[in-house]
Amino acid sequence: MHRIKKFLFKNGPLLATILIFFIVYAIGGQLYPAMRKPQVFFNLFINNASLLIISIGMTLVVIMKGIDLSVGAMIALTSVASAALLQQNFPPLLVILMMTLMGILFGLTMGAITHYLKVEAFVVTLMGQFFARGMAYVINRSSITITDDFYKFLALTKIHVPFFENAYVYITSLVAIVLLVVTFIILVFTRFGRTVYAIGNNEQSALLMGLPVARTKLIVYAFSGFCSALAGIVFSISLTSGFGGYALSMEMDAIASVVIGGTALTGGVGNVFGTLFGVLINGIIVTILQFNGTLTSWWTRIGVGILTLIFIGIQSLFYVRKKHT
Amino acid sequence: MDTNSENKTSFFHRFRKSRLFWPLVALALILIFDAIYAPGFFKIGILDGHLYGNLIDVFNNGAPLILVAIGMTMVIATGGVDLSVGAVIAISAAMGAVLINPAFGNELISNEILTQNVSKTPLPLIVLANLGAGTACGLWNGFLVSRAKIQPMVATLILMVAGRGLAQLITNGQIMTIYYTPYFFFGNGFILGIPVAMYIVAAVLLLAWFLVRKTSIGLFVESVGINDKSTYYSGISEKNVKLLAYTFCGFCAAVAGLILSSYVHSADANNIGSNYELDAILSVVIGGTLMAGGRFSLLASVIGAVVIRTFTITMYTIGVPANALLAAKAVLVLLVILLYSEQSRRLINSLFEGKKERRDA
Amino acid sequence: MKNIKKLVLLMAILILALAACSSPEVAEPPAEEEPETKTYEDMVLCYPQLGAESDWRTANSASIKQEAENYGIKQLIFSDAQQKQENQISAVRSCIAQGVDVIALPPVVEDGWDAVLTEAKDAGIPVIIVDRSVSADSSLYDVHLGSDMFLEGQRAAEEMNRLLPDGGNIVELFGTVGSGAAEGRADGFRDKLNDNITILDSQTGNFTRAEAIPVTEAFLKKYEGQIDGMFIHNDDMAIGAIEALKNAGIQPGDIKIVSVDGTRGGFQAMIDGWIQADVECNPLLGPQVIEIALKLMNGEAVEPEILTNETVYYPEEAADLIDSRQY
Repeated sequence: MHRIKKFLFKNGPLLATILIFFIVYAIGGQLYPAMRKPQVFFNLFINNASLLIISIGMTLVVIMKGIDLSVGAMIALTSVASAALLQQNFPPLLVILMMTLMGILFGLTMGAITHYLKVEAFVVTLMGQFFARGMAYVINRSSITITDDFYKFLALTKIHVPFFENAYVYITSLVAIVLLVVTFIILVFTRFGRTVYAIGNNEQSALLMGLPVARTKLIVYAFSGFCSALAGIVFSISLTSGFGGYALSMEMDAIASVVIGGTALTGGVGNVFGTLFGVLINGIIVTILQFNGTLTSWWTRIGVGILTLIFIGIQSLFYVRKKHT
Repeated sequence: MDTNSENKTSFFHRFRKSRLFWPLVALALILIFDAIYAPGFFKIGILDGHLYGNLIDVFNNGAPLILVAIGMTMVIATGGVDLSVGAVIAISAAMGAVLINPAFGNELISNEILTQNVSKTPLPLIVLANLGAGTACGLWNGFLVSRAKIQPMVATLILMVAGRGLAQLITNGQIMTIYYTPYFFFGNGFILGIPVAMYIVAAVLLLAWFLVRKTSIGLFVESVGINDKSTYYSGISEKNVKLLAYTFCGFCAAVAGLILSSYVHSADANNIGSNYELDAILSVVIGGTLMAGGRFSLLASVIGAVVIRTFTITMYTIGVPANALLAAKAVLVLLVILLYSEQSRRLINSLFEGKKERRDA
Repeated sequence: MKNIKKLVLLMAILILALAACSSPEVAEPPAEEEPETKTYEDMVLCYPQLGAESDWRTANSASIKQEAENYGIKQLIFSDAQQKQENQISAVRSCIAQGVDVIALPPVVEDGWDAVLTEAKDAGIPVIIVDRSVSADSSLYDVHLGSDMFLEGQRAAEEMNRLLPDGGNIVELFGTVGSGAAEGRADGFRDKLNDNITILDSQTGNFTRAEAIPVTEAFLKKYEGQIDGMFIHNDDMAIGAIEALKNAGIQPGDIKIVSVDGTRGGFQAMIDGWIQADVECNPLLGPQVIEIALKLMNGEAVEPEILTNETVYYPEEAADLIDSRQY
């Protein structure tokens, strides 16, 4: 009994998030019978693959008490750059490799500037955002269509979900799921993962404990850069095009998803599975509004704002109680 | 380099140590650049009895940014950040437009609205509602941060997301054009040949300066930013200091919304004041206030905002392609930050030695 | 050990999640196979609007909503993507899941519609592309109903040629960089513009008033006394530019302005003498969309490419027409 209580306390925000997801889903299913189709659930993974990928990277950064505002712009830059390269008949696999490397380097650079030059992550990554979006427009100011067969194959191949009739996802959605599982394992079962939490809790004591703070920080920012490049590749595949205006302010959606998923911006606490449900909740609210078809867009924004507030409320409730116990 | 400056007069030395030094250097660099590549930039003429020229534009259409930067300085000094200023600008502008003619939102534009020079609400009341709405938003942010103990970024993110929704709710999703001439006074008017917006900026700056330098509030703000626990133990209500800072920031954003909507003659809930939160934060950072809070300088932030506006107008003037603007801005700001930050300069110098030390340890 | 337990638990929750959403496998919306011709009362129309960024767009949304009521269609499913393509794509997917009769899509950008349009085709839902065009294969949609941005640019160029018969220097206020409307208008404009007219400069004002003002101010100072004309990509920016001209002490008509849209604000500016020609871009597409949708539902043949009726407006007729402008 005591252990259950302890477990509930420890994972309170996460469980609350999951619970709320199902409640919202159930309400939607009641209101709009078409929402009970399994495909609607899988559409969440199709539509939010990129958001999920950058949110995973963001989760690590936030657990480490950092922030990365460049991810949305990096999606745009990656999509344009890969579209431009494919237009020059570069082999698609090479393009994907180059983009991934670019993402890692970009993240690494930002991480190095924050860590060694002691400039706040907020400012550095904001500059990264401006730079990436600017460069995307420099490469090409209008959108470039991707005609590469391999990309088209990836974009249009449906994978049927086992056990469900007529339900499908795309290859890109699987990328997000695989990344989620891998990241979860790394974060929970490796020394590196524990170091990330330790830095988030208290960087000074992590340093004093002899943990490789600098290296871990750089790796985490590089990982976030990798995630955003990966998300950019996924984005450019699912839209078979590249454009500097893609994924505008998606970093804010990612941060909101991370926060809703129970990761605290004060660092040291969090979980990638919570982030998954943060993304899903975001998606399900949008789906309900789309199914309704009469509510105007401003209600979306107000609704998301209020929901974030509710989640924060639940979270702080748990944290306050935790402090007292 | 350091030995050189020590030989100079003490005034110069003091100046160099001042927080205004590096922002001013940045500004000077841009102006020198202008002097070489766009000589017309400095021309100030008199037109219809008021001053006219690029430099006036920097202040005139930069006024909203300067105002928001002043408010943002207070918030950042307490160790927080306010992401909602752009949304608050939209709410304040929407308030004004709706009170001038409530019919805007509900029906497609009719001739009556378009041609008549009338307002459904007296001007002072409009201004009051304008500022009231923004200040209330600031109060809400302050309440979330100080009383509900929500991290500033998340607390203000809520209003950042919901705020534009609220503004659209007020305007019923329309872009509301304003045809009421007296309202244009704030953004387009001139007193003694100088734009009204500049007087407003001066007044708000004076108010802020009075608050932080002539009362102990400024000291409280800094101490909260440096360590809010110890501030609390020393008997200062750290909650009220934060509440005040956010409320003041909301007020500044509201004034900015008033000027901006008056300047562009419309309230567009979706676009007005977009990216102001980022530009304001950059202004403060260029002004040398650390995002972590603590020591701050209002004047330095104002200069920071002027740097950003001057840079933007310079880019328009020399005709940098629109698509390269963002990237150029990023490079500029990063350079400025690296330039003035003593810490990073020291770190660059000691980077190699530092590495060795760590390896030994 | 503990961690493994946690992992197992989370996995279990995830599997539960998948199971939960599938268990209430309910009857799909009754797919009635009616042999008789369908009427407006049977129509469920999906209109995933791209956003509310300009007066034009607001008028477009209002037109669709109003006409849906006037025609008495069964249901209009309207959503707003806030100018984000990913939102719009997900909205189309939701429409497909709901099994609507027709999807009318005003795409935010041209590219990226292949996958979702294929899904619509597989689901047997006809698609009308409204306003801007898409780069996807034309077999994936049924009709494109829209304005020809290139033609609008050409018309604007002809007006500019007429206004500046002896040539001159002009500046261009560009719409949102990369948008089909802006790029099309710019290309069309350059295609028909006389050789003796030079475009001194082109800078984006993002289709908004707020950004048009500082850009125009900078133009006026840089090319003091050299500017004979301005080509502005929409009326919102034109109104902003006029504010800047007023502040600079320029009189109406000193600088010839050709704008695009034909909104009420644009008409007022023509009456005041600022705009010399306004190329129409008609947002009131509601009746056309709904009529085409019905034809598609009944399997009637429809022209694959339909242009909206558009013209050019001049100051002389502005005062008479302004009352009839609905946007």
